[in-house]
Amino acid sequence: MADTISIDRDTIPRQQQKSRRMWTRIRRGGWGYIFVFPWILVYLVFGLYPLLLSFYLTFFTYSFVTPEDYVFVGLGNWLRGFLDPLFWKGITNIFYNQVIFILVTNVIGLLTAFLLYKVTFAGRIFRTIYFMPVITSVVVLMVVGNYLTSPQGPIQSYMVQLGILDSPVFWKFTESLPMPVIALINSWKWFGVSTVIYLAGLYAVDPQFYEAAQIDGASGWQQFWSITIPQLRPQIFFLLVVNVINGLQMFTEVFTLGYDVFGGPQHQALTPVLYLYAQAFNNSNIGYASTLGLLLALVIALLTVIQFRLFPSDAR
Amino acid sequence: MLQSKKFTWPTAIIYLLLLLGAIVVLYPFFYMLMNSLKFGPEILHSPTRLPTQITLTGFQGVFQSLNMLLLYRNSLILAVSITVLNTFLSSLAAYAIAKIPFPGRNHLFGFMLATMMIPGVLFLIPTYVMIYRLGWVGQFHALIIPSAISVYNIFLIRQFVAGIPNELIEAARLDGANEVRIFANVILPLIRPVLATVAILSFIGSWNDFLGPLLYLNKPETWTVQLGLYQFQSSIPGENAQEIWASMTLITLPLVLVYFLLQDQFVKAFANVSLK
Repeated sequence: MADTISIDRDTIPRQQQKSRRMWTRIRRGGWGYIFVFPWILVYLVFGLYPLLLSFYLTFFTYSFVTPEDYVFVGLGNWLRGFLDPLFWKGITNIFYNQVIFILVTNVIGLLTAFLLYKVTFAGRIFRTIYFMPVITSVVVLMVVGNYLTSPQGPIQSYMVQLGILDSPVFWKFTESLPMPVIALINSWKWFGVSTVIYLAGLYAVDPQFYEAAQIDGASGWQQFWSITIPQLRPQIFFLLVVNVINGLQMFTEVFTLGYDVFGGPQHQALTPVLYLYAQAFNNSNIGYASTLGLLLALVIALLTVIQFRLFPSDAR
Repeated sequence: MLQSKKFTWPTAIIYLLLLLGAIVVLYPFFYMLMNSLKFGPEILHSPTRLPTQITLTGFQGVFQSLNMLLLYRNSLILAVSITVLNTFLSSLAAYAIAKIPFPGRNHLFGFMLATMMIPGVLFLIPTYVMIYRLGWVGQFHALIIPSAISVYNIFLIRQFVAGIPNELIEAARLDGANEVRIFANVILPLIRPVLATVAILSFIGSWNDFLGPLLYLNKPETWTVQLGLYQFQSSIPGENAQEIWASMTLITLPLVLVYFLLQDQFVKAFANVSLK
Protein backbone atom coordinates (compact mmCIF):
# COMPACT_ATOMS: atom_id res chain seq x y z
CA MET A 1 0.00 0.00 0.00
CA ALA A 2 2.64 2.48 1.09
CA ASP A 3 4.67 2.37 -2.11
CA THR A 4 1.72 3.47 -4.23
CA ILE A 5 1.90 6.98 -2.80
CA SER A 6 3.41 9.33 -5.35
CA ILE A 7 6.73 10.82 -4.40
CA ASP A 8 7.31 14.55 -4.69
CA ARG A 9 8.37 15.02 -8.27
CA ASP A 10 10.61 18.05 -8.16
CA THR A 11 13.76 16.02 -7.72
CA ILE A 12 16.09 17.97 -10.06
CA PRO A 13 15.98 21.52 -8.75
CA ARG A 14 18.45 24.18 -9.84
CA GLN A 15 21.31 24.69 -7.44
CA GLN A 16 20.38 28.25 -6.46
CA GLN A 17 16.77 27.33 -5.84
CA LYS A 18 17.67 24.44 -3.64
CA SER A 19 17.65 26.18 -0.27
CA ARG A 20 14.45 28.06 -1.04
CA ARG A 21 12.76 24.83 -2.06
CA MET A 22 13.96 23.22 1.12
CA TRP A 23 12.18 25.91 3.06
CA THR A 24 8.89 25.60 1.21
CA ARG A 25 9.12 21.85 1.61
CA ILE A 26 9.53 22.10 5.35
CA ARG A 27 6.69 24.61 5.51
CA ARG A 28 4.47 22.32 3.47
CA GLY A 29 5.52 19.29 5.49
CA GLY A 30 4.50 21.28 8.55
CA TRP A 31 1.00 21.62 7.15
CA GLY A 32 1.02 17.88 6.56
CA TYR A 33 1.69 17.26 10.23
CA ILE A 34 -0.97 19.75 11.27
CA PHE A 35 -3.55 18.03 9.02
CA VAL A 36 -2.87 14.54 10.37
CA PHE A 37 -2.52 15.73 13.98
CA PRO A 38 -6.23 15.27 14.87
CA TRP A 39 -6.01 11.61 13.94
CA ILE A 40 -2.81 11.09 15.93
CA LEU A 41 -4.38 12.75 18.97
CA VAL A 42 -7.65 10.81 18.77
CA TYR A 43 -5.74 7.59 18.16
CA LEU A 44 -3.39 8.06 21.12
CA VAL A 45 -6.25 8.88 23.50
CA PHE A 46 -9.07 6.64 22.22
CA GLY A 47 -7.04 3.93 20.47
CA LEU A 48 -3.65 3.25 21.95
CA TYR A 49 -4.43 4.13 25.56
CA PRO A 50 -7.57 1.95 25.78
CA LEU A 51 -5.64 -0.87 24.10
CA LEU A 52 -2.93 -0.74 26.77
CA LEU A 53 -5.50 -0.26 29.52
CA SER A 54 -7.34 -3.29 28.21
CA PHE A 55 -4.23 -5.47 28.55
CA TYR A 56 -3.56 -4.05 31.98
CA LEU A 57 -7.10 -4.67 33.22
CA THR A 58 -6.99 -8.34 32.22
CA PHE A 59 -4.63 -8.99 35.12
CA PHE A 60 -6.98 -7.57 37.74
CA THR A 61 -10.37 -8.00 39.27
CA TYR A 62 -11.80 -4.53 39.06
CA SER A 63 -15.28 -3.05 39.33
CA PHE A 64 -16.95 0.33 39.20
CA VAL A 65 -18.67 -0.33 42.51
CA THR A 66 -15.39 -0.35 44.40
CA PRO A 67 -12.95 1.38 42.03
CA GLU A 68 -10.10 1.46 44.58
CA ASP A 69 -10.03 -2.34 44.83
CA TYR A 70 -7.63 -3.59 42.20
CA VAL A 71 -7.02 -7.25 42.98
CA PHE A 72 -4.15 -8.73 41.00
CA VAL A 73 -5.15 -12.13 39.60
CA GLY A 74 -2.30 -12.75 37.15
CA LEU A 75 -3.45 -14.89 34.27
CA GLY A 76 -6.59 -15.91 36.15
CA ASN A 77 -8.95 -13.99 33.86
CA TRP A 78 -7.30 -15.44 30.78
CA LEU A 79 -7.54 -19.00 32.06
CA ARG A 80 -11.14 -18.47 33.06
CA GLY A 81 -11.94 -17.00 29.63
CA PHE A 82 -10.35 -19.88 27.72
CA LEU A 83 -12.32 -22.37 29.81
CA ASP A 84 -15.57 -20.38 30.10
CA PRO A 85 -18.34 -22.50 28.53
CA LEU A 86 -20.60 -19.45 28.18
CA PHE A 87 -18.03 -17.55 26.10
CA TRP A 88 -17.69 -20.51 23.75
CA LYS A 89 -21.45 -21.00 23.74
CA GLY A 90 -21.64 -17.43 22.45
CA ILE A 91 -19.09 -18.20 19.75
CA THR A 92 -20.91 -21.37 18.62
CA ASN A 93 -24.22 -19.48 18.62
CA ILE A 94 -22.66 -16.94 16.26
CA PHE A 95 -21.32 -19.70 14.00
CA TYR A 96 -24.76 -21.26 13.86
CA ASN A 97 -26.21 -17.83 13.07
CA GLN A 98 -23.59 -16.83 10.52
CA VAL A 99 -23.69 -20.07 8.52
CA ILE A 100 -27.37 -19.40 7.81
CA PHE A 101 -26.92 -15.65 7.43
CA ILE A 102 -23.98 -15.86 5.03
CA LEU A 103 -25.64 -18.57 2.96
CA VAL A 104 -28.97 -16.73 2.68
CA THR A 105 -27.55 -13.24 2.00
CA ASN A 106 -25.11 -14.56 -0.58
CA VAL A 107 -27.63 -16.67 -2.47
CA ILE A 108 -30.33 -14.00 -2.41
CA GLY A 109 -27.83 -11.20 -3.03
CA LEU A 110 -26.38 -13.02 -6.01
CA LEU A 111 -29.80 -13.92 -7.37
CA THR A 112 -31.17 -10.38 -7.09
CA ALA A 113 -27.94 -8.92 -8.53
CA PHE A 114 -28.27 -11.31 -11.45
CA LEU A 115 -31.92 -10.36 -12.02
CA LEU A 116 -31.10 -6.63 -11.83
CA TYR A 117 -28.19 -7.17 -14.23
CA LYS A 118 -30.51 -8.75 -16.79
CA VAL A 119 -33.11 -6.01 -16.55
CA THR A 120 -33.05 -2.84 -18.63
CA PHE A 121 -36.14 -1.09 -17.30
CA ALA A 122 -37.03 -0.08 -13.70
CA GLY A 123 -33.95 -1.79 -12.26
CA ARG A 124 -33.17 1.30 -10.19
CA ILE A 125 -36.55 1.24 -8.47
CA PHE A 126 -36.05 -2.35 -7.36
CA ARG A 127 -32.49 -1.65 -6.25
CA THR A 128 -33.74 1.29 -4.18
CA ILE A 129 -36.40 -0.88 -2.54
CA TYR A 130 -34.01 -3.75 -1.82
CA PHE A 131 -31.63 -1.37 -0.16
CA MET A 132 -34.23 0.19 2.14
CA PRO A 133 -33.79 -2.24 5.07
CA VAL A 134 -30.04 -1.53 5.09
CA ILE A 135 -30.60 2.01 6.31
CA THR A 136 -33.26 1.01 8.85
CA SER A 137 -32.11 0.81 12.45
CA VAL A 138 -31.51 -2.55 14.12
CA VAL A 139 -33.82 -1.57 17.01
CA VAL A 140 -36.79 -1.07 14.68
CA LEU A 141 -35.90 -4.14 12.72
CA MET A 142 -35.76 -6.41 15.74
CA VAL A 143 -39.03 -5.13 17.16
CA VAL A 144 -40.79 -5.57 13.80
CA GLY A 145 -39.09 -8.93 13.23
CA ASN A 146 -40.09 -10.04 16.70
CA TYR A 147 -43.77 -9.32 16.00
CA LEU A 148 -43.71 -10.87 12.56
CA THR A 149 -42.24 -14.11 13.91
CA SER A 150 -44.26 -14.16 17.15
CA PRO A 151 -47.09 -16.69 17.71
CA GLN A 152 -49.65 -13.98 16.83
CA GLY A 153 -47.64 -12.76 13.85
CA PRO A 154 -48.47 -13.33 10.20
CA ILE A 155 -45.70 -15.85 9.45
CA GLN A 156 -46.82 -18.37 12.05
CA SER A 157 -50.52 -17.90 11.32
CA TYR A 158 -49.91 -18.66 7.62
CA MET A 159 -47.81 -21.67 8.56
CA VAL A 160 -50.63 -22.96 10.75
CA GLN A 161 -53.16 -22.38 7.96
CA LEU A 162 -50.96 -24.26 5.50
CA GLY A 163 -50.49 -27.08 8.01
CA ILE A 164 -46.71 -26.69 8.31
CA LEU A 165 -47.07 -25.85 11.98
CA ASP A 166 -49.49 -27.53 14.40
CA SER A 167 -49.82 -24.63 16.78
CA PRO A 168 -48.05 -21.27 17.19
CA VAL A 169 -44.82 -21.35 19.23
CA PHE A 170 -42.60 -18.74 20.82
CA TRP A 171 -39.62 -19.41 18.54
CA LYS A 172 -37.71 -16.91 20.62
CA PHE A 173 -37.76 -19.20 23.64
CA THR A 174 -37.06 -22.53 21.96
CA GLU A 175 -33.60 -23.93 22.32
CA SER A 176 -32.47 -24.08 18.70
CA LEU A 177 -34.53 -21.49 16.83
CA PRO A 178 -33.51 -18.02 18.10
CA MET A 179 -30.29 -17.96 16.09
CA PRO A 180 -31.89 -18.99 12.76
CA VAL A 181 -34.72 -16.49 13.32
CA ILE A 182 -32.22 -13.69 13.98
CA ALA A 183 -30.19 -14.82 10.95
CA LEU A 184 -33.26 -14.57 8.73
CA ILE A 185 -34.28 -11.15 10.07
CA ASN A 186 -30.71 -9.98 9.54
CA SER A 187 -30.63 -11.46 6.05
CA TRP A 188 -33.70 -9.42 5.26
CA LYS A 189 -31.88 -6.33 6.51
CA TRP A 190 -28.50 -6.86 4.87
CA PHE A 191 -28.97 -8.72 1.58
CA GLY A 192 -29.22 -5.36 -0.22
CA VAL A 193 -25.51 -4.78 0.45
CA SER A 194 -24.63 -8.12 -1.16
CA THR A 195 -26.91 -7.26 -4.08
CA VAL A 196 -25.18 -3.94 -4.73
CA ILE A 197 -21.70 -5.42 -4.34
CA TYR A 198 -22.43 -8.39 -6.61
CA LEU A 199 -24.12 -6.12 -9.14
CA ALA A 200 -20.98 -3.98 -9.36
CA GLY A 201 -18.98 -7.20 -9.74
CA LEU A 202 -21.23 -8.47 -12.53
CA TYR A 203 -20.86 -5.24 -14.48
CA ALA A 204 -17.08 -5.58 -14.19
CA VAL A 205 -17.01 -9.01 -15.88
CA ASP A 206 -15.71 -8.74 -19.44
CA PRO A 207 -18.61 -9.70 -21.80
CA GLN A 208 -16.08 -11.37 -24.09
CA PHE A 209 -15.87 -14.26 -21.61
CA TYR A 210 -19.56 -15.00 -22.15
CA GLU A 211 -19.31 -14.56 -25.91
CA ALA A 212 -16.41 -17.01 -26.07
CA ALA A 213 -18.31 -19.47 -23.88
CA GLN A 214 -21.39 -19.21 -26.09
CA ILE A 215 -19.31 -19.96 -29.16
CA ASP A 216 -17.98 -23.04 -27.35
CA GLY A 217 -21.59 -24.03 -26.69
CA ALA A 218 -21.60 -23.62 -22.89
CA SER A 219 -25.06 -23.61 -21.29
CA GLY A 220 -26.32 -20.83 -19.01
CA TRP A 221 -25.48 -22.86 -15.89
CA GLN A 222 -22.02 -23.75 -17.15
CA GLN A 223 -21.36 -20.08 -17.84
CA PHE A 224 -22.61 -19.16 -14.38
CA TRP A 225 -20.40 -21.71 -12.58
CA SER A 226 -17.26 -21.35 -14.66
CA ILE A 227 -17.31 -17.64 -15.50
CA THR A 228 -19.56 -15.63 -13.20
CA ILE A 229 -18.68 -17.28 -9.89
CA PRO A 230 -14.88 -17.29 -10.42
CA GLN A 231 -15.05 -13.67 -11.60
CA LEU A 232 -16.95 -12.69 -8.46
CA ARG A 233 -14.42 -14.25 -6.09
CA PRO A 234 -13.12 -10.87 -4.83
CA GLN A 235 -16.68 -9.88 -3.88
CA ILE A 236 -17.40 -13.25 -2.27
CA PHE A 237 -14.19 -13.01 -0.29
CA PHE A 238 -14.89 -9.44 0.83
CA LEU A 239 -18.41 -10.29 2.01
CA LEU A 240 -17.21 -13.40 3.82
CA VAL A 241 -14.45 -11.62 5.72
CA VAL A 242 -16.63 -8.64 6.64
CA ASN A 243 -19.53 -10.85 7.72
CA VAL A 244 -17.38 -12.97 10.01
CA ILE A 245 -15.82 -9.88 11.60
CA ASN A 246 -19.16 -8.11 12.10
CA GLY A 247 -21.11 -11.24 12.98
CA LEU A 248 -18.88 -12.15 15.88
CA GLN A 249 -19.50 -8.67 17.34
CA MET A 250 -23.30 -9.00 17.31
CA PHE A 251 -24.98 -7.31 20.26
CA THR A 252 -27.90 -4.99 19.50
CA GLU A 253 -29.89 -7.75 17.77
CA VAL A 254 -30.08 -10.00 20.81
CA PHE A 255 -30.25 -7.17 23.33
CA THR A 256 -33.26 -5.49 21.72
CA LEU A 257 -35.09 -8.78 21.11
CA GLY A 258 -35.71 -8.76 24.83
CA TYR A 259 -33.48 -11.56 26.11
CA ASP A 260 -31.77 -11.14 29.45
CA VAL A 261 -28.07 -10.31 29.31
CA PHE A 262 -27.19 -14.01 29.42
CA GLY A 263 -29.21 -14.71 26.27
CA GLY A 264 -32.17 -16.54 27.77
CA PRO A 265 -32.49 -19.48 30.16
CA GLN A 266 -30.52 -21.91 27.97
CA HIS A 267 -28.24 -19.14 26.67
CA GLN A 268 -29.70 -19.87 23.27
CA ALA A 269 -29.30 -16.23 22.20
CA LEU A 270 -26.04 -15.48 24.00
CA THR A 271 -23.40 -13.76 21.87
CA PRO A 272 -19.81 -13.05 22.98
CA VAL A 273 -20.43 -9.28 23.16
CA LEU A 274 -23.67 -9.76 25.11
CA TYR A 275 -21.74 -11.94 27.55
CA LEU A 276 -19.02 -9.31 27.79
CA TYR A 277 -21.70 -6.71 28.51
CA ALA A 278 -23.21 -8.96 31.18
CA GLN A 279 -19.83 -9.44 32.87
CA ALA A 280 -19.03 -5.70 32.78
CA PHE A 281 -22.36 -4.16 33.73
CA ASN A 282 -24.27 -6.91 35.52
CA ASN A 283 -21.50 -8.67 37.40
CA SER A 284 -19.39 -5.47 37.36
CA ASN A 285 -16.33 -7.54 36.60
CA ILE A 286 -14.44 -5.13 34.34
CA GLY A 287 -11.18 -7.06 34.35
CA TYR A 288 -12.85 -10.22 33.12
CA ALA A 289 -14.98 -8.35 30.54
CA SER A 290 -11.80 -6.78 29.23
CA THR A 291 -10.22 -10.22 28.89
CA LEU A 292 -13.25 -11.48 26.98
CA GLY A 293 -12.91 -8.51 24.61
CA LEU A 294 -9.29 -9.38 23.88
CA LEU A 295 -10.11 -13.05 23.54
CA LEU A 296 -12.84 -12.30 21.05
CA ALA A 297 -10.49 -10.02 19.11
CA LEU A 298 -8.02 -12.93 18.97
CA VAL A 299 -10.71 -15.28 17.66
CA ILE A 300 -11.67 -12.73 14.99
CA ALA A 301 -8.04 -12.16 13.98
CA LEU A 302 -7.42 -15.91 13.76
CA LEU A 303 -10.48 -16.49 11.57
CA THR A 304 -9.54 -13.57 9.30
CA VAL A 305 -6.02 -14.94 8.85
CA ILE A 306 -7.44 -18.40 8.08
CA GLN A 307 -9.75 -16.91 5.45
CA PHE A 308 -6.87 -15.04 3.84
CA ARG A 309 -4.86 -18.28 3.76
CA LEU A 310 -7.68 -20.35 2.30
CA PHE A 311 -8.42 -17.96 -0.53
CA PRO A 312 -5.88 -17.83 -3.37
CA SER A 313 -4.24 -14.41 -3.44
CA ASP A 314 -5.64 -13.45 -6.84
CA ALA A 315 -9.18 -13.84 -5.52
CA ARG A 316 -9.06 -11.22 -2.80
CA MET B 1 -30.77 -4.78 -26.20
CA LEU B 2 -33.20 -3.93 -28.97
CA GLN B 3 -35.42 -6.88 -28.14
CA SER B 4 -35.93 -5.72 -24.56
CA LYS B 5 -39.13 -3.88 -25.46
CA LYS B 6 -40.72 -7.09 -26.72
CA PHE B 7 -42.50 -9.41 -24.34
CA THR B 8 -40.57 -12.59 -23.65
CA TRP B 9 -41.18 -15.23 -21.02
CA PRO B 10 -37.71 -15.00 -19.40
CA THR B 11 -38.13 -11.22 -18.96
CA ALA B 12 -41.58 -11.71 -17.49
CA ILE B 13 -40.22 -14.25 -14.99
CA ILE B 14 -37.37 -11.90 -14.05
CA TYR B 15 -39.81 -9.06 -13.34
CA LEU B 16 -42.09 -11.39 -11.44
CA LEU B 17 -39.20 -12.49 -9.21
CA LEU B 18 -38.07 -8.90 -8.69
CA LEU B 19 -41.60 -7.93 -7.75
CA LEU B 20 -41.84 -10.82 -5.31
CA GLY B 21 -38.57 -9.68 -3.73
CA ALA B 22 -39.89 -6.12 -3.45
CA ILE B 23 -43.04 -7.36 -1.71
CA VAL B 24 -41.01 -9.39 0.81
CA VAL B 25 -38.80 -6.35 1.49
CA LEU B 26 -41.64 -3.85 1.78
CA TYR B 27 -44.10 -5.99 3.75
CA PRO B 28 -42.57 -5.37 7.22
CA PHE B 29 -42.58 -1.62 6.54
CA PHE B 30 -46.16 -1.84 5.42
CA TYR B 31 -47.06 -3.95 8.47
CA MET B 32 -45.47 -1.36 10.74
CA LEU B 33 -47.22 1.60 9.10
CA MET B 34 -50.56 -0.20 8.95
CA ASN B 35 -50.53 -1.14 12.62
CA SER B 36 -49.44 2.34 13.69
CA LEU B 37 -52.75 3.63 12.30
CA LYS B 38 -54.97 1.13 14.18
CA PHE B 39 -56.65 1.12 17.57
CA GLY B 40 -55.00 -1.01 20.24
CA PRO B 41 -57.46 -3.94 20.38
CA GLU B 42 -57.45 -4.27 16.61
CA ILE B 43 -53.64 -4.61 16.58
CA LEU B 44 -53.86 -7.49 19.06
CA HIS B 45 -56.77 -9.31 17.42
CA SER B 46 -56.12 -8.85 13.72
CA PRO B 47 -52.55 -7.65 13.26
CA THR B 48 -52.36 -8.72 9.61
CA ARG B 49 -55.55 -7.06 8.36
CA LEU B 50 -55.97 -3.53 7.08
CA PRO B 51 -57.32 -1.09 9.67
CA THR B 52 -61.12 -0.84 9.69
CA GLN B 53 -60.79 2.65 11.09
CA ILE B 54 -57.73 4.87 10.76
CA THR B 55 -56.60 6.59 13.95
CA LEU B 56 -53.64 8.66 15.11
CA THR B 57 -54.05 7.88 18.82
CA GLY B 58 -50.84 5.79 18.76
CA PHE B 59 -48.85 8.79 17.60
CA GLN B 60 -50.59 11.02 20.15
CA GLY B 61 -49.70 8.51 22.85
CA VAL B 62 -46.03 8.55 21.86
CA PHE B 63 -45.87 12.34 21.91
CA GLN B 64 -47.64 12.45 25.29
CA SER B 65 -45.48 9.92 27.10
CA LEU B 66 -42.15 10.76 25.50
CA ASN B 67 -40.56 14.06 24.69
CA MET B 68 -40.15 13.14 21.02
CA LEU B 69 -38.74 16.51 20.01
CA LEU B 70 -36.00 16.15 22.62
CA LEU B 71 -35.14 12.67 21.35
CA TYR B 72 -34.94 13.89 17.76
CA ARG B 73 -32.89 16.86 18.89
CA ASN B 74 -30.41 14.64 20.77
CA SER B 75 -30.07 12.22 17.87
CA LEU B 76 -29.54 15.13 15.49
CA ILE B 77 -26.94 16.80 17.71
CA LEU B 78 -24.96 13.57 17.81
CA ALA B 79 -25.34 12.58 14.17
CA VAL B 80 -24.68 16.05 12.77
CA SER B 81 -21.67 16.76 15.01
CA ILE B 82 -20.09 13.40 14.23
CA THR B 83 -20.80 13.66 10.52
CA VAL B 84 -19.46 17.20 10.13
CA LEU B 85 -16.40 16.74 12.33
CA ASN B 86 -15.49 13.36 10.92
CA THR B 87 -15.94 14.32 7.29
CA PHE B 88 -13.92 17.51 7.72
CA LEU B 89 -11.05 16.12 9.81
CA SER B 90 -10.81 12.89 7.80
CA SER B 91 -10.59 14.76 4.52
CA LEU B 92 -7.88 17.07 5.91
CA ALA B 93 -5.81 14.06 6.95
CA ALA B 94 -6.55 12.28 3.67
CA TYR B 95 -5.30 15.28 1.69
CA ALA B 96 -2.08 15.39 3.71
CA ILE B 97 -1.52 11.65 3.26
CA ALA B 98 -2.21 11.75 -0.46
CA LYS B 99 -0.61 15.00 -1.60
CA ILE B 100 1.64 16.68 0.98
CA PRO B 101 5.05 15.05 1.18
CA PHE B 102 6.26 15.06 4.78
CA PRO B 103 8.80 12.79 6.44
CA GLY B 104 7.21 9.65 7.87
CA ARG B 105 4.10 9.93 5.75
CA ASN B 106 4.22 6.43 4.28
CA HIS B 107 4.91 4.87 7.66
CA LEU B 108 2.02 6.76 9.19
CA PHE B 109 -0.35 5.60 6.48
CA GLY B 110 0.81 2.01 6.84
CA PHE B 111 0.26 2.25 10.58
CA MET B 112 -3.24 3.69 10.06
CA LEU B 113 -4.14 0.76 7.83
CA ALA B 114 -2.83 -1.66 10.44
CA THR B 115 -5.10 -0.12 13.11
CA MET B 116 -8.10 -0.89 10.90
CA MET B 117 -7.51 -4.60 11.50
CA ILE B 118 -8.34 -4.33 15.22
CA PRO B 119 -12.00 -5.20 15.84
CA GLY B 120 -14.00 -2.50 17.59
CA VAL B 121 -15.19 -4.78 20.39
CA LEU B 122 -11.73 -4.67 21.95
CA PHE B 123 -12.16 -0.99 22.77
CA LEU B 124 -15.61 -1.35 24.32
CA ILE B 125 -14.61 -1.94 27.94
CA PRO B 126 -11.36 0.05 28.24
CA THR B 127 -12.92 3.07 26.53
CA TYR B 128 -15.86 2.87 28.91
CA VAL B 129 -13.49 2.73 31.88
CA MET B 130 -11.62 5.74 30.55
CA ILE B 131 -14.70 7.81 29.81
CA TYR B 132 -16.17 6.87 33.18
CA ARG B 133 -13.02 8.09 34.92
CA LEU B 134 -13.04 11.31 32.87
CA GLY B 135 -16.58 11.88 34.11
CA TRP B 136 -17.94 12.13 30.57
CA VAL B 137 -20.68 9.51 31.03
CA GLY B 138 -24.02 11.14 30.31
CA GLN B 139 -22.54 13.78 28.01
CA PHE B 140 -22.67 13.95 24.24
CA HIS B 141 -18.97 14.50 23.75
CA ALA B 142 -18.34 11.02 25.17
CA LEU B 143 -19.65 9.77 21.82
CA ILE B 144 -18.65 12.68 19.58
CA ILE B 145 -14.93 13.04 20.34
CA PRO B 146 -13.88 9.40 19.82
CA SER B 147 -15.77 9.45 16.49
CA ALA B 148 -14.34 12.81 15.36
CA ILE B 149 -12.05 11.17 12.82
CA SER B 150 -11.70 7.65 11.47
CA VAL B 151 -9.10 5.73 9.50
CA TYR B 152 -11.77 4.11 7.44
CA ASN B 153 -12.93 7.47 6.11
CA ILE B 154 -9.38 8.77 5.71
CA PHE B 155 -8.69 5.70 3.58
CA LEU B 156 -11.79 6.16 1.40
CA ILE B 157 -11.09 9.86 0.83
CA ARG B 158 -7.36 9.29 0.24
CA GLN B 159 -8.13 6.92 -2.64
CA PHE B 160 -10.17 9.69 -4.21
CA VAL B 161 -7.70 12.53 -3.55
CA ALA B 162 -4.85 10.44 -5.00
CA GLY B 163 -6.68 10.58 -8.37
CA ILE B 164 -6.51 14.38 -8.53
CA PRO B 165 -3.71 15.46 -10.92
CA ASN B 166 -0.68 16.92 -9.13
CA GLU B 167 -0.48 19.69 -11.77
CA LEU B 168 -3.63 21.23 -10.35
CA ILE B 169 -2.15 21.42 -6.87
CA GLU B 170 1.27 22.56 -8.11
CA ALA B 171 -0.37 25.35 -10.12
CA ALA B 172 -2.14 26.60 -7.01
CA ARG B 173 1.11 26.39 -5.04
CA LEU B 174 2.92 28.44 -7.69
CA ASP B 175 0.16 31.04 -7.42
CA GLY B 176 1.18 31.35 -3.79
CA ALA B 177 -1.73 29.54 -2.20
CA ASN B 178 -0.90 27.83 1.08
CA GLU B 179 -2.06 24.30 1.90
CA VAL B 180 -5.18 25.45 3.74
CA ARG B 181 -6.35 27.42 0.72
CA ILE B 182 -5.50 24.60 -1.66
CA PHE B 183 -7.53 22.24 0.49
CA ALA B 184 -10.50 24.59 0.68
CA ASN B 185 -10.53 25.89 -2.90
CA VAL B 186 -9.04 23.08 -5.00
CA ILE B 187 -9.48 19.79 -3.15
CA LEU B 188 -12.85 20.11 -1.41
CA PRO B 189 -14.86 21.00 -4.55
CA LEU B 190 -13.29 18.05 -6.40
CA ILE B 191 -13.91 15.40 -3.76
CA ARG B 192 -17.62 16.08 -3.21
CA PRO B 193 -18.73 12.61 -4.33
CA VAL B 194 -16.58 10.82 -1.77
CA LEU B 195 -17.52 13.36 0.90
CA ALA B 196 -21.15 12.44 0.27
CA THR B 197 -20.26 8.77 0.75
CA VAL B 198 -18.43 9.41 4.00
CA ALA B 199 -21.09 11.78 5.32
CA ILE B 200 -23.90 9.33 4.60
CA LEU B 201 -22.09 6.42 6.25
CA SER B 202 -21.26 8.53 9.30
CA PHE B 203 -24.79 9.84 9.60
CA ILE B 204 -26.51 6.46 9.30
CA GLY B 205 -23.98 4.89 11.64
CA SER B 206 -24.57 7.52 14.29
CA TRP B 207 -28.35 7.81 13.85
CA ASN B 208 -28.80 4.04 14.09
CA ASP B 209 -26.21 3.47 16.82
CA PHE B 210 -27.65 1.73 19.84
CA LEU B 211 -24.75 0.38 21.91
CA GLY B 212 -22.95 3.74 22.16
CA PRO B 213 -25.91 5.70 23.55
CA LEU B 214 -26.86 2.71 25.72
CA LEU B 215 -23.46 2.83 27.43
CA TYR B 216 -22.84 6.56 27.61
CA LEU B 217 -26.17 8.41 27.52
CA ASN B 218 -27.88 6.98 30.59
CA LYS B 219 -29.95 10.02 31.57
CA PRO B 220 -33.43 10.33 29.99
CA GLU B 221 -32.72 13.91 28.90
CA THR B 222 -29.80 12.69 26.80
CA TRP B 223 -31.56 9.69 25.22
CA THR B 224 -31.44 9.39 21.47
CA VAL B 225 -34.41 8.35 19.35
CA GLN B 226 -33.26 4.72 19.27
CA LEU B 227 -32.69 4.55 23.00
CA GLY B 228 -35.82 6.45 24.00
CA LEU B 229 -38.12 4.32 21.93
CA TYR B 230 -36.39 1.13 23.04
CA GLN B 231 -36.84 2.04 26.72
CA PHE B 232 -40.42 2.89 25.95
CA GLN B 233 -41.22 -0.44 24.36
CA SER B 234 -39.49 -2.48 27.04
CA SER B 235 -41.03 -0.70 30.04
CA ILE B 236 -44.63 -1.96 29.77
CA PRO B 237 -44.66 -5.20 27.79
CA GLY B 238 -47.68 -5.98 25.62
CA GLU B 239 -49.70 -3.05 26.86
CA ASN B 240 -48.92 -0.23 24.49
CA ALA B 241 -48.99 -1.94 21.09
CA GLN B 242 -50.37 1.19 19.46
CA GLU B 243 -47.55 3.39 20.74
CA ILE B 244 -44.90 0.82 19.84
CA TRP B 245 -45.92 0.73 16.20
CA ALA B 246 -46.29 4.50 16.06
CA SER B 247 -42.88 4.99 17.62
CA MET B 248 -41.23 2.54 15.21
CA THR B 249 -42.78 4.44 12.33
CA LEU B 250 -41.46 7.68 13.81
CA ILE B 251 -37.86 6.39 14.04
CA THR B 252 -37.91 5.01 10.52
CA LEU B 253 -39.68 7.79 8.67
CA PRO B 254 -37.04 10.59 8.69
CA LEU B 255 -34.28 8.29 7.45
CA VAL B 256 -36.46 6.72 4.75
CA LEU B 257 -37.44 10.18 3.48
CA VAL B 258 -33.80 11.29 3.29
CA TYR B 259 -32.99 7.96 1.66
CA PHE B 260 -35.51 8.44 -1.13
CA LEU B 261 -34.20 11.94 -1.78
CA LEU B 262 -30.56 10.80 -2.00
CA GLN B 263 -31.00 7.16 -3.00
CA ASP B 264 -28.16 7.02 -5.53
CA GLN B 265 -25.65 8.45 -3.06
CA PHE B 266 -26.76 5.96 -0.40
CA VAL B 267 -26.33 2.95 -2.64
CA LYS B 268 -23.02 4.24 -3.97
CA ALA B 269 -21.82 4.89 -0.43
CA PHE B 270 -22.08 1.18 0.36
CA ALA B 271 -20.79 0.03 -3.02
CA ASN B 272 -17.73 2.33 -2.81
CA VAL B 273 -16.71 0.78 0.46
CA SER B 274 -16.21 -2.62 -1.12
CA LEU B 275 -14.57 -1.49 -4.30
CA LYS B 276 -11.48 -0.10 -2.56
